[in-house]
Amino acid sequence: MKDAITVKPPPFAARPGWAARLSSGFADLRELQVSTVLGVGFVAIICFGTLFAPLLTAADPLGLSKETLLGPGPAHPFGTDDLGRDVLARVLYGGRVSLSVGLFSAVLSLGLGMTIGMVAGFFGGALDEVLMRVTEAFQILPKLLVAVVVVSLIGSGLANEILVIGLLSWPATARVIRGRVQVIRHEEFIAAAEMSGASWVRVLARHVTPNVLSFLLVSASLQVASAIMAESFLSFLGLGDPTHPSWGLLLQQGQLFLQQAWWLTTFPGIALAMTILGLNLMGDGLGGSRAGTRATRR
Amino acid sequence: MFPVIVKLLLRRALLAVPLVLAVVTLTFFFIRLAPGDPAAIMAGDAPTPEFLAQIRSEYGFDRPVWAQFLTFLGKAVTGDFGISLYTKQPVFSVILERFPATVLMTGTAMAVASLIGVMVGVASAKRAGSRLDALISAASLVGYSVPGFWVGQLLILLFAVSLNWLPVGGMEAARASYRGWRHVEDVAWHMVLPVATLSVFLLTMIARFTRAAMIDALDQDYVLVAEAKGASRTRILWHHAFRNACVTTITVIGLEFGAVLAGAVVVEIVFSWPGLGRLFYDAIYRRDFPLLTGAFMFSSFVVIVVNLASDVACTLLDPRIRR
Repeated sequence: MKDAITVKPPPFAARPGWAARLSSGFADLRELQVSTVLGVGFVAIICFGTLFAPLLTAADPLGLSKETLLGPGPAHPFGTDDLGRDVLARVLYGGRVSLSVGLFSAVLSLGLGMTIGMVAGFFGGALDEVLMRVTEAFQILPKLLVAVVVVSLIGSGLANEILVIGLLSWPATARVIRGRVQVIRHEEFIAAAEMSGASWVRVLARHVTPNVLSFLLVSASLQVASAIMAESFLSFLGLGDPTHPSWGLLLQQGQLFLQQAWWLTTFPGIALAMTILGLNLMGDGLGGSRAGTRATRR
Repeated sequence: MFPVIVKLLLRRALLAVPLVLAVVTLTFFFIRLAPGDPAAIMAGDAPTPEFLAQIRSEYGFDRPVWAQFLTFLGKAVTGDFGISLYTKQPVFSVILERFPATVLMTGTAMAVASLIGVMVGVASAKRAGSRLDALISAASLVGYSVPGFWVGQLLILLFAVSLNWLPVGGMEAARASYRGWRHVEDVAWHMVLPVATLSVFLLTMIARFTRAAMIDALDQDYVLVAEAKGASRTRILWHHAFRNACVTTITVIGLEFGAVLAGAVVVEIVFSWPGLGRLFYDAIYRRDFPLLTGAFMFSSFVVIVVNLASDVACTLLDPRIRR
């Protein structure tokens, strides 16, 4: 009931000018924690490296040579693998694969999770009950093992990986969004919209969605992280796409030469860990500052 | 009092039944979803016509889909997962042969992770906002973010390859066949690195959630009452606060068990540990689909049972859940 007595801004108050908006934007930035900035930095470095891979190395990630299993040196900063391919190029171009799979499967899982969460939270009742039981079942099942079975059966390939990871990862988002929608559901503006004759589709799209977007943002960064982790898991088990080597696939190759060539596992692993850590730091930071609440992790 | 709890436990156990059915249904669905003839999938890459016909009649792939499903379901819930295409043994017995090694490693890792995770989480909550707390939070986020198999690879590079302190992999020394106490010692020695690797993830999860639950519990009125009564700091921390916080800890262990088992699969591969994980890997590589689906259903059943156990433990620990 406390929300009912919040002070409303006067209707004709002038919008703050650009200078005021800019300085308050900087104030927001200053409030960010060091860890968040660090996370953004990690992700920025990785994105830069993968996007501008051709500028950073002239080597072909798939180009074979006779210089096999060379340690890191001036010609090959990250060394070469058992077929003489440049590891730096493989890490940079492999990032494109890992990041795209992570990004696309996160988009899929966020869309699904948001839809399911909004419907469950908005309508409540039996529908909510059923959807939440299904969500719980999905959370209990060993997601990664389900993914292994499905990808083995339907065949590996980037599209299948994206589809499987996306379809398995929505429960976390659905729960967060449902919780938020349950709160918003009883706000006055929803009742006002309903009374003015808006259909439920319109209420959900125009009035509920903007209020859950900040939560979706937090969820997004955590979802991309967990999707990249899932992709590396599948690739490590040999279910990746060998024509598009991702970081997980590089780590799988590294496993074979663990005792001879440390650089094959160390460098792709650092890239992978930096990305996931960066995204998690960003998610935690955004969850703390923007949305004002801690988003649950699962 | 007693019958109420029994009734409640039975009700919880009944909730597991639809989950088991869901796992079997999903597996069946996946096999049907795969491109091509399901009989060919169950029979391997180059089956003899007789074997193909045998599989077809055994699973009734020529009958309507619902009849196929009932046959599959009946076989799966009685532990008949078919015959491994590679070893030609019943899948269930192959799994049972490998399962103890996984239980040994995963169980030890869970014990280690729970113990240290709770200690770290409680210590962190006790000094919430301090430098130590910030350090622990940062460390646990790093531990949570780093893929388990890579941690394993790094540990091998450091402790096995460079320093040569610990074995690279396997469960026992290959050249010597120890007996009795020496054997136990040998296995324990091989277990250090895989257990450490597998613990990282669960430990950080437990520490994070225990910390949050402890901060919440320490803020409750019953802690204030205990303080007013003059209870000692330790007693308040463990007897009053942690007894409530541990419900969260146990729930997390239950919810994360699926992820732990998946982690065990890759850790076993990194360390050539002869458990279920290696079985998964071999099944993927040899396209041994009965073995793969069988191992999947078996692991899922284990996950469901562990979840049930954690549910029951929470119910027993916290009277407020017994409604």
